[in-house]
Amino acid sequence: MQRKPLFTLLAFIMVLSMVLAACGTPATPTTAVQPTQPPQTGQQPTQPPVESKGPPFTIGISNPFISSEYRTQMIAELIEVNKEYMAKGLTTELVIESADTDVAGQIQQLQNLMAKGVDAILVNPSDVNGLNATLQEAVNKGIIVISVDQELNVPGVYNVGIDQKEWAKTSAKWLAEKLGGKGNIVLIEGFPGHPANVARMEGVDEVLAQYPDIKVLAKDTGKWDEATGQQVMSNFLAAYPNLDGYWTQDGMAIGALQAVIAANPAKFPALVGEGRCQFLKLWEQVLKDRPDFETIAVANPPGVSPTGLRIAVNMLLGKQVDKSKLGGANGLSFVIPVPIIITKDNLQQGLDICKDKPDAYLLDGIMTDQEVLDAFFLK
Amino acid sequence: MKRFSWDEMMNRYPAFFAIILLVVALTINFILQPNMFARDTLNSNMRVFLPIILLSVGQAIVILGGGIDISVGGIVSIVNTILATQVGLNGSPEKMWTFVFVSIGAGILAGAINGFFIAFLRLQPIITTYATSFLYVGFALFILPNPGGGIPAEIANVYRNTTPLGLPLAFYVIGVVLLVWMYIRSTRYGNYLYAVGGNAEAAYETAVPVTWVLFSTYVASGFMSALAGIAITMLSGSGNAEIGVPMTLTSITAVVIGGTALSGGVGGVAGPVVGAITLGIIQNIISFSRIDTWWETFVKASIIVVALAAPGIINLLRRKKV
Repeated sequence: MQRKPLFTLLAFIMVLSMVLAACGTPATPTTAVQPTQPPQTGQQPTQPPVESKGPPFTIGISNPFISSEYRTQMIAELIEVNKEYMAKGLTTELVIESADTDVAGQIQQLQNLMAKGVDAILVNPSDVNGLNATLQEAVNKGIIVISVDQELNVPGVYNVGIDQKEWAKTSAKWLAEKLGGKGNIVLIEGFPGHPANVARMEGVDEVLAQYPDIKVLAKDTGKWDEATGQQVMSNFLAAYPNLDGYWTQDGMAIGALQAVIAANPAKFPALVGEGRCQFLKLWEQVLKDRPDFETIAVANPPGVSPTGLRIAVNMLLGKQVDKSKLGGANGLSFVIPVPIIITKDNLQQGLDICKDKPDAYLLDGIMTDQEVLDAFFLK
Repeated sequence: MKRFSWDEMMNRYPAFFAIILLVVALTINFILQPNMFARDTLNSNMRVFLPIILLSVGQAIVILGGGIDISVGGIVSIVNTILATQVGLNGSPEKMWTFVFVSIGAGILAGAINGFFIAFLRLQPIITTYATSFLYVGFALFILPNPGGGIPAEIANVYRNTTPLGLPLAFYVIGVVLLVWMYIRSTRYGNYLYAVGGNAEAAYETAVPVTWVLFSTYVASGFMSALAGIAITMLSGSGNAEIGVPMTLTSITAVVIGGTALSGGVGGVAGPVVGAITLGIIQNIISFSRIDTWWETFVKASIIVVALAAPGIINLLRRKKV
């Protein structure tokens, strides 16, 4: 039995952690940053009671995906908006858990936020249902939980985001009208099965149902990726040289337009774009050769997250949410209006916004504190 | 009394360094998060680590036998989608039990397919399991194209919140796994496994049934992947065909941090268990040290690289001294 010491060591560690587990419990209150006056009741030692605390509040962020401009802009804006509240002494530094991770990893992120005793959590969920039980635990601890960007159906969890379906309908309607209600088109969608994509494609289907003379020749996924979008569009252009139009969305519209520019057909198909500076610049470039070119760019604002932060802070301050203003599956969704839609009429405005921004910048909008109060809270 | 010898410890107990690493990581974590050994915190950590721990054990057995299994994540996905679609959010415990056994069967079958290709058809393990990983994820996507479905919350809670005698459920599962491994290790099969992993040709010449031993390692890995799949389904309570994909590389990292050589024939199962826990603890340390968000990924990767390289660096320094 030469391997015995190994197991002995392991057993020792287990016993050690057991002992520490026993000692660890009563020692917890000392971990709280602010020494709380009331004598410990010893009933629920793991978490300090959240309800009774006044400002400054601590807000935690959980983000499981970092390799996108949307998320980068989102985190940067959250930090920015929070500074405003920090200056007023209402919040402390944000506790940000942001790294590429899977469902289990995001559960760990959320658990760590709870262990840090945050008062509210803003979560951009990686999975529609996978976090439910963990978020429920947070709600039960009295933490305000807000899912941003993606709607969850968990009792007690609020949602803040744009209406993805309406968002897609705006550009789909524009395309249908531009085509005069008639023509052959193709669709390039994002990740099949991703809730936002599902909602968007539902919106497109609803619009197209009203235009029976518009025929969808084919549909493929561009995986919300510029290069893939370009490749898919090139294939479509080769297969259907007389394409009348196409509908696509975020992240793929730049690639698709580049494919069209490269193919340089006699007549450009009617096409939709995306609310990103690089797209607007491409648009401007195409206009030089084809002055009658037009398209539409509907912003998908990362600013919904900082808006969600404002909602969280006001809720923590004890302001009452006007439930009649909320929508969604369980009446807990704050629906944020789309901040800006660029068409040929206001292209210059879009380009002005982009002047000092990187190409990857997404057209955005963050509601002000007052706007949030007016829109969603009781007077 | 015999003098403590670093070299001897390192050679005889490949997990020795892993345990040092774990103790260091635990200590740092404890300093940063003083309530980490409180029952709830410990349990919530361990329930997140357990799927990877189980997966790493299966991976370690394959690696011990001289192979590698890139398809473990795919098997996790299959199990997850089977449970999420067949049991459903309103399923009964009986139904859950039935499909737990079905899942284990599916995991063993998937492992057997890998084993057949590699042991009997003599294909390269890394390419074979890379290919079958797409087969398995593809099959999981076929079962559940869109994320959704799930298992009843009460059943998930059994996994999430059971702490017999105040200890996380995961400790008991790990205990059972280690006991079973100790037994296997002491059998003739256990010796065969190390022989095959160390030098398959020599093993063959000494009448070890090399083909069957190789085959068995992939079946064992399929079985452990199924257990990991069940664990992660009970953790998340829902189905997602992509859920296992990122777990594959983590399981291999855990095995290596646990002191198991990728060349085979060296190491054990305790090391990967320790390695998997260490990886989880590192994530906690990052989280509680309040590193600037933009640096998080970089810092985490650096710690892992250092952890992987440390035994080599120490040996290098020691050799120089002599």
